[in-house]
Amino acid sequence: MQSNAALEYDYTVAKLFTYTAIIFGLVGMLIGTLIAAQLAFPELNYLFGEYGTFSRLRPLHTNVVIYGFTVSGVFATFYYSAQRVMKVSMAESSFIMMVGKLQFILYVILAAWMVVTLFMGVTASKEYAQMEWPLDVLTVLVWVLWGVAMFGLIGMRREKALYISMWYFIACFLGVAMLYLFNNMEVPTYFAAGGLGSMMHSVSMYAGTNDALVQWWWGHNAVAFVFTVPIVAMVYYFLPKESGQAVYSYKLSLLSFWGLMFVYLWAGSHHLIWSTVPDWMQTMGSVFSVVLILPSWGSAINMLLTMKGEWNQLTENPLIKFMVLASTFYMLSTLEGPIQAIKSVNAIAHFTDWIPGHVHDGVLGWVAFMIMAALFHMAPRMFKREIYSKKMLEAQFWVQTTAVVLYFTSMWIAGITQGMMWRAVDEYGNLMYSFIDTVTVLHPYYTIRAVAGVLFVAGFILFAYNMFMTMTASKKLEEEPQFRSPMAA
Amino acid sequence: MFHWLEKNPFFFSVGVFIVIAFAGLIEIVPNFAEASRPVAGLKPYSVLELAGKEVYKKDNCLSCHSQLIRPFKSETDRYGQYSLSGEYAYDRPFLWGSKRTGPDLHRVGNYRTTDWHENHMWEPTQVVPGSIMPAYKHQFTNIADIETAYAEAVTVKNVFGTPYGDEFQPSREAWEAHKPKVLAEAKAIAADMKDPGVKAAIEADEVPEIVALIAYMNRLK
Amino acid sequence: MSSLMIKALAFAAALIVATLVVVKQMNVNLDDPINQLTLLGAVAIAVLTFGVSAKYVNQMKTDKAGGELAEENWDGIGEYKNELPGGWAYSFLGTLIWTVWYFLWGYPLNAYSQIGEYNEEVKAYQTKYEEKHTNPDDATLLQMGKSIFLVQCAPCHGITGDGMNGKAHDFTARMSKEQVLDVINNGQNQLGYPMGAMPGGMATGADAEAIAEYVAGGMKGEAPAMFAACVACHGADGTGNNGMAPNIAGYDDALIKNTLTNGKKGMIGKMPSFKTMITPVQEKALTVYLQSLVQ
Ligand code: HEC
Ligand code: HEC
Ligand code: HEC
Ligand code: HEM
Ligand code: HEM
Ligand SMILES: [Ca+2]
Ligand SMILES: [Ca+2]
Ligand SMILES: [Cu+2]
Repeated sequence: MQSNAALEYDYTVAKLFTYTAIIFGLVGMLIGTLIAAQLAFPELNYLFGEYGTFSRLRPLHTNVVIYGFTVSGVFATFYYSAQRVMKVSMAESSFIMMVGKLQFILYVILAAWMVVTLFMGVTASKEYAQMEWPLDVLTVLVWVLWGVAMFGLIGMRREKALYISMWYFIACFLGVAMLYLFNNMEVPTYFAAGGLGSMMHSVSMYAGTNDALVQWWWGHNAVAFVFTVPIVAMVYYFLPKESGQAVYSYKLSLLSFWGLMFVYLWAGSHHLIWSTVPDWMQTMGSVFSVVLILPSWGSAINMLLTMKGEWNQLTENPLIKFMVLASTFYMLSTLEGPIQAIKSVNAIAHFTDWIPGHVHDGVLGWVAFMIMAALFHMAPRMFKREIYSKKMLEAQFWVQTTAVVLYFTSMWIAGITQGMMWRAVDEYGNLMYSFIDTVTVLHPYYTIRAVAGVLFVAGFILFAYNMFMTMTASKKLEEEPQFRSPMAA
Repeated sequence: MFHWLEKNPFFFSVGVFIVIAFAGLIEIVPNFAEASRPVAGLKPYSVLELAGKEVYKKDNCLSCHSQLIRPFKSETDRYGQYSLSGEYAYDRPFLWGSKRTGPDLHRVGNYRTTDWHENHMWEPTQVVPGSIMPAYKHQFTNIADIETAYAEAVTVKNVFGTPYGDEFQPSREAWEAHKPKVLAEAKAIAADMKDPGVKAAIEADEVPEIVALIAYMNRLK
Repeated sequence: MSSLMIKALAFAAALIVATLVVVKQMNVNLDDPINQLTLLGAVAIAVLTFGVSAKYVNQMKTDKAGGELAEENWDGIGEYKNELPGGWAYSFLGTLIWTVWYFLWGYPLNAYSQIGEYNEEVKAYQTKYEEKHTNPDDATLLQMGKSIFLVQCAPCHGITGDGMNGKAHDFTARMSKEQVLDVINNGQNQLGYPMGAMPGGMATGADAEAIAEYVAGGMKGEAPAMFAACVACHGADGTGNNGMAPNIAGYDDALIKNTLTNGKKGMIGKMPSFKTMITPVQEKALTVYLQSLVQ
């Protein structure tokens, strides 16, 4: 293994995806806040005619935050960290450089097209797979290009053994590729009917219960391979890197990784409990969900233990705060999920707001925190300037932490209440509540969540501004910082 | 051995792929043989109903409504008989939803009617005080795309063998001949409605989205 | 206990107490095992997550990093060869063993069915409420009827039963003049009374008006002469000859039963059938409740 001291990493592509992560994050979370407010104040449904109803906007929210914000964050951190942990620069291969740029261009086209079609109501309607077939084709292309860049870089690497983050990036690539293809098998009706109707429309290859199984095999594992695996890749790189601490235990990394890979896929049917899929499959989903707690907590614990003895870093460096809290929110959602997967608990939890509550523990407290911290760590190194304001960073941390706590506690209470009200019977055995009773009682919780949304977006605006100033106006750095990111007060 | 894999990315990737693909096979494949069989008497969706299903997807009602009645007394009391796998045999895609901000709709055709939906979709709070469901007034003026719905009928018949019976055989060639049938079905629904715009559109041989949507709602039983 | 742990557990406790307070307000039955298990699950999530993470975060204060470093180093990141944390390793092993046990022995792979469980739930329900449902007194029926009405009927008939400005039938009166006129003009044949169809056009013009007014007015005072045409079927007092034709003077068992069974399309709109959703006791309860609404 030769070490090349003069290696200059090239962050062109990482920077491009950083910009889109910020923009899509802002747009997606603004829409999230709007739809949260709509459930508390329905008049807000009529701001943009038919395009502004809760139901049109909800898939826009989910798609923009997943395929816009999260996936941009994944690509940005990949193009940043993969070079470094493998000691290879994008600048060394004009081919890979071109692939990366092409991937970005197609990705932006795809994302814009996705936003337009979803606004128009062109949708295949399966959750997290709403994009119609022509967009699927483009998605596959973007993904393949990412694969080419990834394995190209791996082929050129100077570091023989792959670092943990790379294990997770590879798994993200493979998992999404496999699942996405199967779930999006659909027949375009225009061609199958010999030229009738809309070109965009398609029907799923699978029907009813089968379609549900394939969809949640995907849906659950989209959580695994988009919201978990690449984010774990991030925490394994950015936390040790920012803190200068060695990863606590190789064995723990190893068992958590292979455990996660093995167990995750079995748990998908926990989205279909009490449905018409066979009982044994539902039970399999429940049982493996419980097992899944451990490989999930393994990574989080590994990261918390990496910070052993570093209390002062935790109190002094807001980026460490973000990452440590992200690890604990990861623990929260990966214990809450398995418990919601237990059949009796799911009887209450399913269909209620407790599920979006669980979702946002993960996506706000874990995914968004981790991505923002990672981008902050990258900024001084990519733009060769120190972080613009530490105060702003601190403020952002507290505002957003408050927001997540308000979000999950309000939806926790709302969901459990609603689930129990649906089941409640009066003393004669008749249903105690009409449906609308179970809706109006949620008003205060929906209001709290809307406030949480406003706070989280406010924090995100601080983030975006701080990043923008870091890129353009902050003090220049002479030398790349080794560990802790430099920041102005 | 694992450390060896970490140094050999190709085998590492193969290993990951095997581990993740394996569970998928066990989870998905066994169900395919059985679950797609329709229950006795299940009729494929008519063209108008398919157009309504598209409206349901377009306005994404499934973000608030499920179509899956679970086998609990509290649900069967509220919504009727629990759902059976065979009832979904023609649902491409399935529309179970995953959130009940509003009530389940799998059997809404049993206990709501055309005129009720007309009132409700125009302004939910006028029928259910306190409702947080948005009003869908644009469905009264937007025109449903029955040609695409017809293309869907042709597709599911040709590609998946959906049994449309002898009287109605959708095909590329028969579209013009079948169109009046679709319009007649829409007229029958609109007869129970009062909105003058809807009535006028129907007279002009156009099908407003709301009419198709109600045909679909009424079919959910 | 460290102060961090105390704070974490206090937060968990606050969340659980808040949940309990809200749920209690809704009068749900906390003896229901499903509700109990859910609350237990909620406690487990809050206590374990906040407790365990507080434990590890506290180690940042109290412990020191250390161990043998691996040779490799990636971009300055090292890696210790530390052993697995014991609690984690044993829990992982434990859940794996539990899974195997559960699948092979604990969960009867072929003997369980959720539909079977549903049937048992229904049976248990029937046993539990059997007593209350045999010969309930009127006060009970009234209470029952009200709660069924609010869940099943109020979306159309309104919470107070006033029909919400003519969207559905108004129960505060027997029938409106327009409704009666509509039947006189067009006849009606949908409720399944032994008399079969009522033909339309038995009275016209001013006669029809007068009859409709009389019927809608609660059949008080002098009957108009032409009402004689109706008496044959509905009886002089309008109660329908012991269920041969509808009672047009008030709500009775037969009318409710027939409407719920067959649904009803009238001049206002259409009511669907509730045949599969309403049991005989509930039907009785609804009758009593609807009778109480007429002024
Ligand atoms: C923001 C959430 C939301 C959206 C989106 C939504 N609904 Fe609703 N829906 C509700 C709520 C809440 C209720 C219960 C109160 C009521 O009846 O209005 C309801 C009730 C209903 C009912 C009455 C069912 C019953 O049993 O009483 C029907 C039918 C219905 N919605 C159809 C639709 C259709 C069709 C769409 C899409 C075009 C839609 N809804 C979109 C929230 C929503
Ligand atoms: C041949 C017997 C017969 C005669 C005569 C008759 N009815 Fe009826 N009426 C019926 C029957 C049977 C029904 C129920 C029809 C059904 O099943 O829908 C009915 C229904 C009605 C209803 C509707 C009740 C409801 O709740 O929907 C009204 C009002 C009514 N009759 C009024 C009159 C009046 C006023 C007259 C005289 C002009 C009259 N009927 C004469 C047999 C008769
Ligand atoms: C989907 C709307 C809807 C629902 C739900 C509904 N109704 Fe009705 N109901 C109507 C309409 C509309 C009419 C009036 C038809 C007419 O013009 O005579 C009606 C009429 C009736 C009548 C007949 C009155 C008469 O004079 O003939 C009875 C009795 C009745 N409803 C009872 C009930 C009960 C009890 C329930 C609940 C279990 C219920 N309805 C639920 C819409 C509904
Ligand atoms: C051990 C790990 C986890 C398990 C076992 C698990 C389990 C579950 C369960 C049981 C549901 C509810 C299904 C239902 O009843 O509707 C659910 C929903 C969901 N979870 Fe998790 N969860 C885990 C971790 C996570 C994480 C870390 C995230 C995100 C970062 C996440 C995101 C989601 C999402 C987005 C949904 C909503 C799916 C839908 O649209 O219905 N989960 N999860
Ligand atoms: C400002 C912050 C946010 C707010 C206020 C917000 C609000 C919402 C609301 C109101 C819903 C719909 C819930 C329902 O139907 O009842 C939702 C769904 C969802 N959001 Fe967010 N959101 C935010 C940020 C995010 C982020 C950053 C992500 C992902 C990275 C995300 C991912 C999701 C997902 C996956 C769902 C679907 C959940 C399900 O179907 O169960 N959200 N969000
Ligand atoms: Ca698709
Ligand atoms: Ca969902
Ligand atoms: Cu899942």
